[in-house]
Amino acid sequence: MADEKWGIAHVHASFNNTIITITDQTGAETLAKSSGGTVVKQNRDEASPYAAMQMAEEVAEDVQAQGIEGVHVRVRGPGGNQQTNPGPGAQATIRALARAGLEIGRIEDVTPIPHDGTRGPKNAGF
Amino acid sequence: MSERSVSRQKQEKRWYDVLAPEQFDREELGQTPADESEKVLGRTIETTLGDLQNDASENNTKLKFKINEVASDTAYTEFIKHELTRDYLRSLVRRGSSKIEAYVTVLTTDDYRVQIQPVALTTKSADESQEKAIRREMIDIVEEAGTERTFEELIDSIVEGRLSSAIYNEAKTIYPLRRVEIQKTTLEARPEEVAAEEETSVDVDEEDVEVDE
Repeated sequence: MADEKWGIAHVHASFNNTIITITDQTGAETLAKSSGGTVVKQNRDEASPYAAMQMAEEVAEDVQAQGIEGVHVRVRGPGGNQQTNPGPGAQATIRALARAGLEIGRIEDVTPIPHDGTRGPKNAGF
Repeated sequence: MSERSVSRQKQEKRWYDVLAPEQFDREELGQTPADESEKVLGRTIETTLGDLQNDASENNTKLKFKINEVASDTAYTEFIKHELTRDYLRSLVRRGSSKIEAYVTVLTTDDYRVQIQPVALTTKSADESQEKAIRREMIDIVEEAGTERTFEELIDSIVEGRLSSAIYNEAKTIYPLRRVEIQKTTLEARPEEVAAEEETSVDVDEEDVEVDE
């Protein structure tokens, strides 16, 4: 890995929004971040793949200016007692990051899985 | 946009090279930026075994290191956690077969306290008694291995899979096993912390304890 700097792209893709944060490899320092509201006007479009693409392009440009060559990706959905699948923005983000010239390393799913806790909102009505 | 975002504040930050412990040949793990060197302490960095040893077949094991010492522009780390990736562990679990887990906490010869979680998967669904026997065997082997090795040797044998194959060879006579892995290892206490605990702990006699009858 000679002099190439790598980062971690944290992608939180829910059904209402997508949040992208690119940090250094320890996850302690944020290098760039973006969320759906920065690129679209309508709230319902925040989670759309198109918005995710725009965000990813912006973020990629930003970190490349800081000397980042590639990123490991950590995708997550809402998790907990909500749905565990990442929303529509996740796949689009990874694609756009790759197209923007960032190398993609490991892709990992980090959706929080409960080891049992409170009842989920879906089956709250018994 | 990009001119503004690489602000003066960011340019003041220096990048530190993060190096693996001696046990892993001081391999470079990555870089991290900070404006003051104290802020680097305590950060954790995660890599896979494959990255560390340039061996793509070992990418199912994650290793976590914590920075505990900073020199001018390099940071040194210690091993704190070993874990299988979630997708690999999930791929091992099949329908109609048993998964036997155990949680073992051992104290190594050089006073590190480590929690080890072995997991065994059988070919067909095993009986409760067989599961119990396998779990007993796993705990015995791990405890024996832990108490007679140093921390470094123990981590070595876990990471290289010697401990899990030892369990496999012993426990396969009880019930046919598909796979045995160490799914997680966590460093719980270092020698200094163990010593501090012993100092503060108080011996309690049986007569001192009041028991309601």
